[in-house]
Amino acid sequence: MAVLTVTNLSKTFNLGTARESRILDDISFEVSGQTFVSIVGPSGCGKSTLLNIISGVEEHTSGDITLTSDAGGPARMGYVFQDPRLLPWRSVMKNMMYVQDDQSRDTVARAERYLDMVGLKKNADFYPGQLSGGMQQRVGIARAFAVEPDLLLMDEPFSHLDAITARGLREQLQDIWAQSKKTVVFVTHDVVEAVELSDRIIVLQPGGLIYEDITIDLPRPRRQSDKAVATLQADVLARLETLKAMAAAEPVAEPVA
Amino acid sequence: MTDQLVMGPDTGPSTPAAPDREAAARRTARGRRWRRTAVLALGWVAIYAVWEATSWWFGSRLLPRPHEVLQSAIEIIETGNFVGDFSASVLKTFAGFGVAALVGAPIGYAMGRSRYWRAFFHDGVTIAGTIPAIVYAVMSLIVFGLSNLGPILAVALVSAPYVALNVAEGIRGVDNQLITMSEAFGRTPRQIRREVLVPTIVPFVFAAIRMCFAVAWKVEALTEVFGGRSGVGFQIRTEYQLYDISAVLAWMVLFIAFMLVIERLVLAKAESRLLAWRPEERGAAL
Repeated sequence: MAVLTVTNLSKTFNLGTARESRILDDISFEVSGQTFVSIVGPSGCGKSTLLNIISGVEEHTSGDITLTSDAGGPARMGYVFQDPRLLPWRSVMKNMMYVQDDQSRDTVARAERYLDMVGLKKNADFYPGQLSGGMQQRVGIARAFAVEPDLLLMDEPFSHLDAITARGLREQLQDIWAQSKKTVVFVTHDVVEAVELSDRIIVLQPGGLIYEDITIDLPRPRRQSDKAVATLQADVLARLETLKAMAAAEPVAEPVA
Repeated sequence: MTDQLVMGPDTGPSTPAAPDREAAARRTARGRRWRRTAVLALGWVAIYAVWEATSWWFGSRLLPRPHEVLQSAIEIIETGNFVGDFSASVLKTFAGFGVAALVGAPIGYAMGRSRYWRAFFHDGVTIAGTIPAIVYAVMSLIVFGLSNLGPILAVALVSAPYVALNVAEGIRGVDNQLITMSEAFGRTPRQIRREVLVPTIVPFVFAAIRMCFAVAWKVEALTEVFGGRSGVGFQIRTEYQLYDISAVLAWMVLFIAFMLVIERLVLAKAESRLLAWRPEERGAAL
């Protein structure tokens, strides 16, 4: 069953002049439950805007977005940002509980379980300032999973980390995802990362159109060192070479948030 | 003290390079601490010397000598009304702070959250912050006469603008990313206020309180000198009318000592407790 349905979605920015900037142009796609979908594309193709619209932080100009919940009722959403965005004055555990609707024992146990999955159970009483950037981002990931979302949105969560930390976190993310099977929409500019993580990759092109919709059918867990993963990464990269040229020819300014 | 300042040559057995460097670092740190203490002590010796010289020059009837003032201070402590007057002054100062926080914080909050409220309050608050403290002291006395409310109002009037401006600054500095995060996770405005906005302004409120405190207790004492029925300022006026200068100075010295203790111990401790999450506070606590 489709958890997320996007129909004819468009977004234009009025730049205050007669000219208007088209960020997303009549996009339609569906995301079915328990799949990991990546949205990739060059800078300025509207992928972050798309995520913000799905999450409700940003308005769209036209089109429809439907979210359905397995349990019925309003769909729950989890969010992992580029930065950890933890409350610096609350301990790790209190940060986990801040986004929960109830503070019951079950919920606490669930939060602890996810914290354990990212290997930070023993740091539950630490303040974010006492953790490294990678550890903070792990808390951010655990926090998002712990709300048991119908849809989990991730906005380039590893882009601010060094390569080695990012690789470790990607592997950890795969493990958590394998255990929880949440529906994930993952935005990244990194095709290599997308191939490693996703069941499906939606490629956006400058001007906000879907360029390609690729299904990745590789066994999990996938590791950077797997030959099949590396081959597919090279293949997808080659297919997107033309897109890179397009992006270079027609630079679209990333809208300032 | 000087012999402790000089570090003798290390006569111990030679140790491997790294521990040796560590030990050397420890030694220099210790040396620095000693030098600082020595310089601090020198400062006090200088104050003492200037005081002695001045009272020798003018005669101890005009400016009592340090030991005479100390004697008076001991007498004041022994006679017992000391506790009553001090607690009266301290309570009035804190009551004034309380009023300042109740009035200043909401104004600051409004100024920080909305441009319109900012425009509305900005000039008024700035002017209120510029008016000399003595004007507030005199005005409070005119309004309340010889009652405890005069000093309280004076402290409140002096402090409220600082509180308002600092809270406004704090709110304006709030991390919008934390707000979007809260909204993305469906937090209510009330939760956002309690978990994001209030903790953001706590350090600014503390900065305001500590800044005000330096001024407030002087204003409080000043108001009592003009028209109080209890408190340190009242005692200073009484002793002044009796022409007991050493008692006047003794009250002053005791008051300064007491307020410094409150500032250093109570306020600083409360601040480092509330702000324990800040890395620099943790560094200080360890």
